Amino acid sequence: MKNLSRYTGAFVLLIVLQLLIFNNIEFSGYVNPYIYVMFILILPFSIPSWFLLILAFLTGLVVDLFSGTLGVHAFATVMAGFVRPWILTLNITSQVTDPDMSPSLYRNGLRWFFFYTVTVVFVHHLSLFLVELFTFSNFFHTLLRVLLSTAVTTFFIILFDFIRPRR
Amino acid sequence: MRSLLNFLLRFRTLILFLILEAVALVLIFSSHSYHQTVAYGAARTVSGFVAKRINAGANYFMLRRVNEELVAENIMLRRRLEQMGAGMQEHFLTVDDSLFGVSYSYLEAKVVNNSINKQKNFITLDRGSRHGVTRGMGVASSTGVVGVVVGVSPRYSVVMSLLNADFRLSASIARNDYFGSLAWDGISHRYATLSEIPHHVRITEGDTIVTSGYSAIFPAGLLVGTLTGEQERGGDFLSLNVMLSTDSKRLTNVFLIGSLNREERHNLEVEVTR
Repeated sequence: MKNLSRYTGAFVLLIVLQLLIFNNIEFSGYVNPYIYVMFILILPFSIPSWFLLILAFLTGLVVDLFSGTLGVHAFATVMAGFVRPWILTLNITSQVTDPDMSPSLYRNGLRWFFFYTVTVVFVHHLSLFLVELFTFSNFFHTLLRVLLSTAVTTFFIILFDFIRPRR
Repeated sequence: MRSLLNFLLRFRTLILFLILEAVALVLIFSSHSYHQTVAYGAARTVSGFVAKRINAGANYFMLRRVNEELVAENIMLRRRLEQMGAGMQEHFLTVDDSLFGVSYSYLEAKVVNNSINKQKNFITLDRGSRHGVTRGMGVASSTGVVGVVVGVSPRYSVVMSLLNADFRLSASIARNDYFGSLAWDGISHRYATLSEIPHHVRITEGDTIVTSGYSAIFPAGLLVGTLTGEQERGGDFLSLNVMLSTDSKRLTNVFLIGSLNREERHNLEVEVTR
């Protein structure tokens, strides 16, 4: 029950930050950070993958509703939710003592958390930007946008994880 | 039956994944025609309200520049008025109709939300169906073309910006009237590409690009931008690089352009070509 309110709080906070601040970042069109993906990253290790997918879909849908891009974010978040368990198995740490805890910088170390974040964020941004445009023309321009935005998003997620209250 | 159930159970995550992605794609395609982008008015109204509050503060710091632009526009209008008065006197008859000779009407609006950093940029205005805004109206600022209204709620309307990968504008070179199709290249918010210009057309750096008036959304002769001189030869046509006259990054006051005879013209065109 306590967890439920914690995750709901994190969800609302991330969405509000995304809509009010990060959607307004304008840096020559190359950097569009989508930090709300952090919600998918911090869900506990033990979450069943079907539930993760549904939460990911809902997260994307909420962002879509408020930014007028119905379906685009939902597509990308589901993609991120789908790859997350794979990345966790690829990259399992011995430090997972309690499966109910959420992946974090504090418990799993910077290197682990960085790799985990950067992969999921990259998958999310790549599918988002490709689906948004729906074309492979100008692919390298899109790829550059993906890489730069991934770097900025990762930076902010690590920063937020650093200041996140620890259980 | 049993093996089917086993199969479903075994691949339940993959199946759920595929279903959710399919739902997302259906949502994208059903809302992708940009005429329905804003079908869900409720969310729009909420985000429009928030954006309006944020903008109220930001607007204050732009007053100086806005004033300058308004002065410049006043002067331009005054000149036009004078020309008009001179033209009118050539007629004997008086027509008692305030709409005589008028084919476009204008309504000023404020930008409450704007983006330039996506590939598909939209602008929200504080005018909606209550103020008579309808889909398909043109939007321009005192510096030039801005976009076309694609969605309307009672108090707000959403404009597909010139900086949208799906936007096409019929534009012509003012000096020789050759027209082509203007589209954004998705890279810089200051430049767009005018394509479908025949090879033999002579162009000069700095040539003015204006709306052609062929679409009845914008009146002919509205400023779009100037040629930078860069061009690309390919196929049968030239593609010219155009520097847009409107800097979408600092857009505050715009006006909506309603075409009074658009329906009549459209109906006639449809009737004849059918």
